Amino acid sequence: MGHFQYLVLMACCLAVTAPLELLGARVYRQPARLARAVLPVAVAFLAWDAIAIAAGVWTYNARYISGLRLPFRIPVEELVFFLVVPVCAILTYGCVQAMLARGRNRRPARRQSR
Amino acid sequence: MTGLGYTVPAVAAVLAVCAWELLFLRTGLFRRPAYWLSMLIVFGFQIPVDGWLTKLSAPVVEYSPAQVTGLRWPWDIPVEDFLFGFALVTAALLLWERQGSGRDSGHGGNGRKGNQGEREIDRAAAGDGVGRVRRGGVRL
Repeated sequence: MGHFQYLVLMACCLAVTAPLELLGARVYRQPARLARAVLPVAVAFLAWDAIAIAAGVWTYNARYISGLRLPFRIPVEELVFFLVVPVCAILTYGCVQAMLARGRNRRPARRQSR
Repeated sequence: MTGLGYTVPAVAAVLAVCAWELLFLRTGLFRRPAYWLSMLIVFGFQIPVDGWLTKLSAPVVEYSPAQVTGLRWPWDIPVEDFLFGFALVTAALLLWERQGSGRDSGHGGNGRKGNQGEREIDRAAAGDGVGRVRRGGVRL
């Protein structure tokens, strides 16, 4: 894997969470809503990343990244990370919501039981 | 451990995200069991993913020892990463929630206007303990 370690790891995250869409998450089916949730957060975290890189708070091992850099020396992998991780989290949340709703609907006396 | 250039912003990010929700967005996300359950699952998966990125035997990301507490657990994950992850994931979920569900868009649209009604119902539901019923669906 070498230089693509980080990117392959991100691809694995997307692959593992992809079935959640079919289990009721309904996230990829709302691309505009997804973009409006993920993109502003990604911009904020890229800014944090740029500052941390410039200040030497963290560095990336050249052996395990592609070498493609965005402005402010941000590895392209970081942009991918800030997109993939929130998408995975929203898929998880959507799926959990769907499953809890299904479980709740199966119990007829749910209103009274609370 | 002199600059804490990671620790301090990580704590600040968590506080900022919580304040954003509690003072401005008020989506009610923190009152939903689905959120806390999801966070538990997300943190469960953060351990192998982040663990791979930060393992000291072959680190993808390396942290300046001067900028972190040096506490690494589990494996070699800097504890700051969990604050970072919480802020990142929660911020995205808040924006996702703020827009309401596209499924309900036929019942008054999404965005802030629809959210106001949702908030009122959330408040009402919290008061009478009936549950978070919203636009004919159950809010989890």
